[in-house]
Amino acid sequence: MATATLVTAGTKARTEQGRGIRPSGWIGFLFIAPNLLGVVAFTLIPLISVLVLAFTDWNLVSGIGGITFTGIDNFVAIARDPGFWHAIGLTLVYVVVSVPLTVVLGLALGIALNRPLPGRAVLRAIFFLPYIVNVVAIGMTWLMLMNPKAGLVNQVLDVFGLRPGWFASSHWALPALIVMAVWGGVGYCSLIYLSALQDAPRQLYEAADIDGASAWAKFRVITWPSLLPTTIFLLVTLVIGASQGFGLIALITAGGPGDVTTTISYYMYQTGFQFYRFGYASAIGLVTFAGVLVLTLLTWRAQRGRALND
Amino acid sequence: MPAASGPADVVKAFQQKFPQYKVEYTRFVNDDRGNLKLDTALQGGVDIDVYFTYSLGAMALRAGSGLAADLTDRVTADPELQVFLDTEQPRSYIDNGKVKALATAREPFFVLFNEKLRQQAGVELPHGWTIDEFRATARKLTTDRTVGVYTVPDVARIALGPNYWYDGNRSNFGDPHFEQGFRLGREMIADGTAFPWTEVLSRHLDAYQQNAFLGEEFHLWSTAPFNLRYLYDAKKYPHDFKVAFAPPPTVDGRDWNGGSFSNFIMINPKSPKFEAAWAFVKFWLTEGATPMLKGGKLPVLGDVTDDQVVAGMLGKEPEKYFDLDSFQRVVLTADPKLATDTRLTGFPEISLAVKQQRDLCWLGEKDPGVAIREVRRLADAAIARNERRP
Repeated sequence: MATATLVTAGTKARTEQGRGIRPSGWIGFLFIAPNLLGVVAFTLIPLISVLVLAFTDWNLVSGIGGITFTGIDNFVAIARDPGFWHAIGLTLVYVVVSVPLTVVLGLALGIALNRPLPGRAVLRAIFFLPYIVNVVAIGMTWLMLMNPKAGLVNQVLDVFGLRPGWFASSHWALPALIVMAVWGGVGYCSLIYLSALQDAPRQLYEAADIDGASAWAKFRVITWPSLLPTTIFLLVTLVIGASQGFGLIALITAGGPGDVTTTISYYMYQTGFQFYRFGYASAIGLVTFAGVLVLTLLTWRAQRGRALND
Repeated sequence: MPAASGPADVVKAFQQKFPQYKVEYTRFVNDDRGNLKLDTALQGGVDIDVYFTYSLGAMALRAGSGLAADLTDRVTADPELQVFLDTEQPRSYIDNGKVKALATAREPFFVLFNEKLRQQAGVELPHGWTIDEFRATARKLTTDRTVGVYTVPDVARIALGPNYWYDGNRSNFGDPHFEQGFRLGREMIADGTAFPWTEVLSRHLDAYQQNAFLGEEFHLWSTAPFNLRYLYDAKKYPHDFKVAFAPPPTVDGRDWNGGSFSNFIMINPKSPKFEAAWAFVKFWLTEGATPMLKGGKLPVLGDVTDDQVVAGMLGKEPEKYFDLDSFQRVVLTADPKLATDTRLTGFPEISLAVKQQRDLCWLGEKDPGVAIREVRRLADAAIARNERRP
């Protein structure tokens, strides 16, 4: 029987060869070549460049010949650079505040939108909109909304006797950016939670209803455990995204006032593209990558452990 | 600079005179991204023969990294261009004794008055004034609806002139004029005679000052010729008032203008067409720069008549939007001391430190003395770090 199978397979292969089709590996590579070239040119080469440049002193305009290898000097300098540590601190605050807020509000919104509300589909689209709108449009809109004098936000807050300076205040600029980040991410989170909520086991809810369980008890015992894999996914992606936050900062505050919104991504940009210290900026990039990787793994492992226990 | 604001006409005139050469003008916007594109193009061997550099930090880097051809022999050999060898009021960038970049424009600063508001307030147009008189004038012009001045002139620059950030191997921010400038701005913002810095930052007004001036939000505007283009085109920038010109105020009897020789032209040393490139550079510097007047660029070499300057810089109906007497006095006949920096160690880092600390000071969050001491610390560190580098 086995022999017969082999003979059949061999016959089939020979027949295909006879029709002029050669299932060789290189044909496969030919098909994926456009993508492969893109990955090599725009991902692999830049990645390797950063890795190499992190050990050099280079300013771009001096060309390849201007690269000077400096060993671990850049990393030693990073350890002693107060600007770097300041940026790391700000980034941590930004991540630690914005990510949990986004997840919690996204979950609340997801649960709300999972109920049979009138116009539910329209509401879902509205809340998801910030996620797909261009960052420039978002930035300009929030700049107007948060204008300390004429912005809508302060006109409302004025009722309570509050008038924060928002982007024009070193105390309020980072909180304002966090508000924008949360606003931009909540709709996305809610949509992901919504799809997870629709997969939640119905029979468990029915059983809980029969047992007379409260809404909180149902959430704690059924909903939350079933949402844990989704939460892990969201935490990991949001932590990575928030650590790399750049667009809105570049557009709205340019790292200021002073340096109160100079997060690590913006600091890296400043070092490379304003001060022309490309070697040092690459080293910052490498250290940041390592940090984000550790942060992501910690988040993932911590949540994963809880998910298994549950 | 957009081709339509002058460069296209310069290129056209050049090609008429030198039909054997064909020139293509490509615009690289003068921001971080545009400068990076130009640097990458120059490094990547893109066919660029002649290019412009606006920021001093980028110029030092390009000249010091072998991206600028040595023009010393050409300049020295040409009597018409000898002015570029002046080191008292430099019009060129000289790197280790070699001329690497030549200024194509002079950009004197002046103070513009909204004539309608000035006359309403009964304030006399100054022909010369001190920084205290400037402040007093701003106070007189401040009303319930309008602020006296957008922002204060650079006090330290007026007092100290070129290379004012540097003192030997350290920064010069210990000079009291720096703190005086920070303090003056802060006090004027606090007493309502200068534009509130919260508004400037939250509306990104630094890049759009003209909108607030055209909207009559403030009376006095310390600015330079390139902003005149907003004032003669009432179709694009509607307004119904004339502007008058006053020179920048003096500080402690010292009168550096605050403006500079700038818009540096450079030749790519990798260009295989050096002769053609030099012909183009010389044409732009001598007889060809007149069309640049409409972009607010006053040529460094004076081959343009006053009528050409008026027609080029003040539009088709100059008397409708400008007080021509004061323009004549402040821009045409005056020969202000323009300060071009030639020491540029750590220039981008120092620029950022000055901006960051000024913002905090003018927002009222940091004392001027504390802010300027922080600038000094950061600038010293930047100079030390950059001087260590090869």
